Amino acid sequence: MPLIELKSVSKIYPLGNQQVVAVEDLSLQIEAGEFTVLAGPSGSGKTTLLNMIGCLDRPSNGEVWLDAEEVGQADSKTLSQIRLNKIGFIFQSFNLVPVLTAAENAEFTMMLMGIGKKQRRQRIVDLFAQLGLQGLEDRKPNDLSGGQQQRVAIARAMAAEPAVVLADEPTASLDTQTSEELLALMKELNREQGTTFIFSSHDPLVISHAQRVVSLRDGRLESDR
Amino acid sequence: MLWQLALRNIWRNRRRTLLTLSAMVISSALLILCLGVFSGMLKDMLASATEQYFGHLVISAKGYQDDRDMFANFPADLDLPALRHPQVTGYSPRLRSFGLLSFANNSAPVELLGIRPQHEQQVTSLQDHLQSGRYLREEERNGAVIGAGLAKRLAVQPGDELVFVTQAADGSIGNDLLQVSGIFSTGDQGHDNSLVLVPLGWLQQLLVLPGKLHEISLRVEQPRQAAILAGQLTGGMPPELEVLDWGQMLPEMKEVVASYDVSRMIIVTILYIATGLGILNTFFMSVLERTREFGVLMAVGMRPGQIRLMVLLETLAMGLISLIFGVGLGVLLSLYMAFVGIDLSGSLTPITYAGGTILPRLHAVLETANILVPAVVLLLVCLLAGFLPANRAARMQPVVAIREE
Ligand SMILES: Nc1ncnc2c1ncn2[C@@H]1O[C@H](COP(=O)(O)OP(=O)(O)OP(=O)(O)O)[C@@H](O)[C@H]1O
Ligand SMILES: [Mg+2]
Repeated sequence: MPLIELKSVSKIYPLGNQQVVAVEDLSLQIEAGEFTVLAGPSGSGKTTLLNMIGCLDRPSNGEVWLDAEEVGQADSKTLSQIRLNKIGFIFQSFNLVPVLTAAENAEFTMMLMGIGKKQRRQRIVDLFAQLGLQGLEDRKPNDLSGGQQQRVAIARAMAAEPAVVLADEPTASLDTQTSEELLALMKELNREQGTTFIFSSHDPLVISHAQRVVSLRDGRLESDR
Repeated sequence: MLWQLALRNIWRNRRRTLLTLSAMVISSALLILCLGVFSGMLKDMLASATEQYFGHLVISAKGYQDDRDMFANFPADLDLPALRHPQVTGYSPRLRSFGLLSFANNSAPVELLGIRPQHEQQVTSLQDHLQSGRYLREEERNGAVIGAGLAKRLAVQPGDELVFVTQAADGSIGNDLLQVSGIFSTGDQGHDNSLVLVPLGWLQQLLVLPGKLHEISLRVEQPRQAAILAGQLTGGMPPELEVLDWGQMLPEMKEVVASYDVSRMIIVTILYIATGLGILNTFFMSVLERTREFGVLMAVGMRPGQIRLMVLLETLAMGLISLIFGVGLGVLLSLYMAFVGIDLSGSLTPITYAGGTILPRLHAVLETANILVPAVVLLLVCLLAGFLPANRAARMQPVVAIREE
């Protein structure tokens, strides 16, 4: 059974008295441990799709299965619980909490889950070492470079050992070299910890790193290789 | 963790937080000060009425206080257990007469209160309000302590001899000489213009009421509880006598005191509504600015309830901080006003209202309720002002919030 399965999923946004079809009758399966990129031009429905997989949004039609559970129509409390326990998010603009230090940001989801301090610290030490963030634990996000912030964001997404990490254009705010480094890091984490990664991007660099590329156009599946 | 986040969030926008805090601190401090001064006025008023004339409780023949009929008297040698009640800290037997007081070509209607100086001083404090001369002495036969307004009207000074004329109990016209011992000034127009203290024996003789009294005025430990004590003492009284508390003799004063609790709430509410709207505005701004952040927090798994709690904790923390400083400052200001005060007698004259006199001075008394009420209401206002923004934050849809720039 795949980790993620979308069955004829559609998402329709009302816009005035019109309707915008962001995703249309889309089916997709993603296995645990995959490193997948959702590619496609602007407006093709990448973010919409990621939001539905990430339990941030519900499909208008169709089913979304995550870890053998149908989450498409769950109530928001359940969705919030699923996000906390199974999903890690990485955003284009990092979105760290500015009043928390790098380490505190990274352990935030673990705190929400009620994981003990000792265990949290150990996990942060390991992750920071792997992500090359040693020595930056007590810095506030504003005192970090974009690349460093995004690495902290990766640590935050990975800390609670989610089933899948979703990253919406994670490198769009970074320069090529930094993007390259980050992708290498995420690939390493994918390989070593077996975490499933799903990106959205229209950056050829990101796409070239992917193991699987799912292309969207106008909310439909264009190609999958 | 939520507390930590809340505390740090408060200091994100230092200037705004400090401005809001200072508004809260200043308003609660001023409020405490105002209430303290207000209480001080009230206490002055009550004290002027009871401690300069009535006393806290009065024992008299039933109905005497309604028309002060000379014949509604009672023997001075009655054994009254009430006078020995532990709550009663002093008592003064009195005889009263109304008549005409003259000096040279001047005369004025007056109220004569026949007293025993040592007893009267246990109940009233006219001895502390002497403008010139001295208080009555125990052995003095026909001394008189008269109000300043009256002294001015008659143009008399200590040592002058006055003539008092009235009708005695046997129907004859009683008249006798009095010698001015001292002149008092309380600020209460009614008393200053017409009250005269004379020796009890002298007045009993003049009125041909030997061994008789019109009232015994009592001082009690807790004036505000006088009504309750009056009820207790009534039981041990001879049937022809009654015990009245100051509230019955001064019903308007009683209303003023009773309405104080309500007025305090009204003042507190009005001032805090203004402050509360200011806080509400600040909190709303701070929540709207963080829309995106709340979206992210929810996306990574924070529950709406936790978001709401976090925002409420922020407002509560602001409330607590301003409470500490506001109460501290308020108490300091009140203490200053309690011990130093501001004297306004240069520009204002005393006002007599509801039977009491408001002195031309700003003077505070510290009462627990005057601090507690503003403190508790401040916290409530903070929580209320935090509630709307907190709900707003908790109701955000993460997808929508994250898209917000
Ligand atoms: N809340 C919304 N209301 C109305 N229309 C929306 C909403 N969100 C997305 N859309 C529309 O849905 C379509 C897909 O949007 P989506 O954001 O998923 O595209 P995308 O592939 O992520 O694009 P980009 O590369 O620019 O981020 C677009 O036409 C967009 O205008
Ligand atoms: Mg997008």
